[in-house]
Amino acid sequence: MTALFQRLMNIDRRWLYLLVGLAAVIPILLPLNLPVNVAQSVQDLYDRVESLPAGSVVLASFDYGPSTGPENDPMADAFLRHCLARDLKVLCIALYPLGGVTEGAEELQRAVGPLDPANGVLESTAFPGKFYGRDFVYLGYKDGGQATMRQMGENVHAVFPREYYQAPVTDYELSNQVRGYGDVSFVMSFATGIIGEWWANLVNAQYGTPVAVGCTAVSAPKYFAYYKAGQMFALLPGLKGAAEYEYLVKQKYGQIAEATAADVYNAGKGWDVQSIVYTIITLFIVIGNVGFLLERRQRRS
Amino acid sequence: MFRKRIPLLLTFIAGMLPILSFLFRGPALRDEDPTGNGILHVSDTFERWMVILAAAALLLGVVNVFQVNLRKISNRAQGWPYALVFLLALTITGFFGLWDAFSRASNTAWYAHAAYNWIVEAGFKPLQATMFSLLAFYVASAAFRAFRVRNVEAAILLAAALLIMLGVNPYVVRALPFLPDLTQWTLNIPNAAAQRGIIIGAALGAASMALRILIGIERSYLGLQKGE
Repeated sequence: MTALFQRLMNIDRRWLYLLVGLAAVIPILLPLNLPVNVAQSVQDLYDRVESLPAGSVVLASFDYGPSTGPENDPMADAFLRHCLARDLKVLCIALYPLGGVTEGAEELQRAVGPLDPANGVLESTAFPGKFYGRDFVYLGYKDGGQATMRQMGENVHAVFPREYYQAPVTDYELSNQVRGYGDVSFVMSFATGIIGEWWANLVNAQYGTPVAVGCTAVSAPKYFAYYKAGQMFALLPGLKGAAEYEYLVKQKYGQIAEATAADVYNAGKGWDVQSIVYTIITLFIVIGNVGFLLERRQRRS
Repeated sequence: MFRKRIPLLLTFIAGMLPILSFLFRGPALRDEDPTGNGILHVSDTFERWMVILAAAALLLGVVNVFQVNLRKISNRAQGWPYALVFLLALTITGFFGLWDAFSRASNTAWYAHAAYNWIVEAGFKPLQATMFSLLAFYVASAAFRAFRVRNVEAAILLAAALLIMLGVNPYVVRALPFLPDLTQWTLNIPNAAAQRGIIIGAALGAASMALRILIGIERSYLGLQKGE
């Protein structure tokens, strides 16, 4: 028995890589549709979106880049769809450079369908009757982090004089309407790193604006302190949070999922992969420790 | 004297203004026009400048990156070809990015936009995603080799890690339905308590450093040594 564990402990790491690789690829090709257990922090966001009256404005900030896209993209996608299905208006911005370069406009187009506001293509194909500028708008990226957040509290138009496609913000009904945090029902930040914390300890603390954050799994333990303190009313922790939120949205608005491209609503697939990889890592940690303890006992005796 | 005193005075004023504007911004003043109050107005102007300064800092970063890597290439230091590739990538991406940004206002040069998008979509995004994906392999290997019950602290850490990983595992949760509650409790109570301690400690450290800068004790940002 000890010999078996010792052999496992000294296993070539390439076998481990192969196993993790297979565990990542197979569930993508053959989705397992594993069940999800919805956490309260995720349910809180869903309930808040469900409880807002039609026409309410929410501010969505794309504070992440491609590296955390697999975690943040699906939550942003499910959130945008949920808001538009509930007839809420979404004002989008980005405070992370790569969010402005790659994620914001791309994610918005992924959720609502191809747009070309510069050439007058404003209507969403995924949500017919919803228009860029009236129901959703993307102001783009602004550098400055906390200073930008503070400045937005005083005057959004001074920070974003033009929207992403270079039209003056006053040209569009939605962006013209929002002047400060008082004009939005809450802020939703899809965050990598520290930006989600800034929303809580600056915008929530100083302006009283409710803040929710969809963060990466690695940042989630820190964000739970803010969630439990009430500085964030909801928290989507990593891919798990995305899968749970997506599950809730799909349960009630299934027709939206059917009307969209195949690559949308992929948090479930991602969660399948992550669950299997977690299982493998857990098993190997247990094997490693059993082997370690057996070896130590043998050495002592 | 001017080299030291004037920057210190400017720092003091720039640091105190936002603090004063925050203190005098009572609930009654919050919705008023910022231009109606002197401190608020100046503070807001400073914040606008800070947004511009933050953008300018990016430029400083680019200049610094160029200096460091050019030196590496000219000295033929170890790994200099990577520095060359890096600088080429930076220059080409920057060129198309700037061209795209400047031409977008007039909606011309769609090819600049297409080229920049192609660089980002076909080059940068996959590379960043690959770097991040590799973590899964390294984490698996490192966890297997290093996560050992060597002492009590390591045992507690391991127990917490297993609890979190098992508590989100659909298969395990089906067999042990009480586990998600235990996982959530771990995150909400001991984890949040420890995180709060860390956050409060870091905030106090940042506040004391800010105070040292404001009252001129900390001067290293001016390039001055201790006692200068």
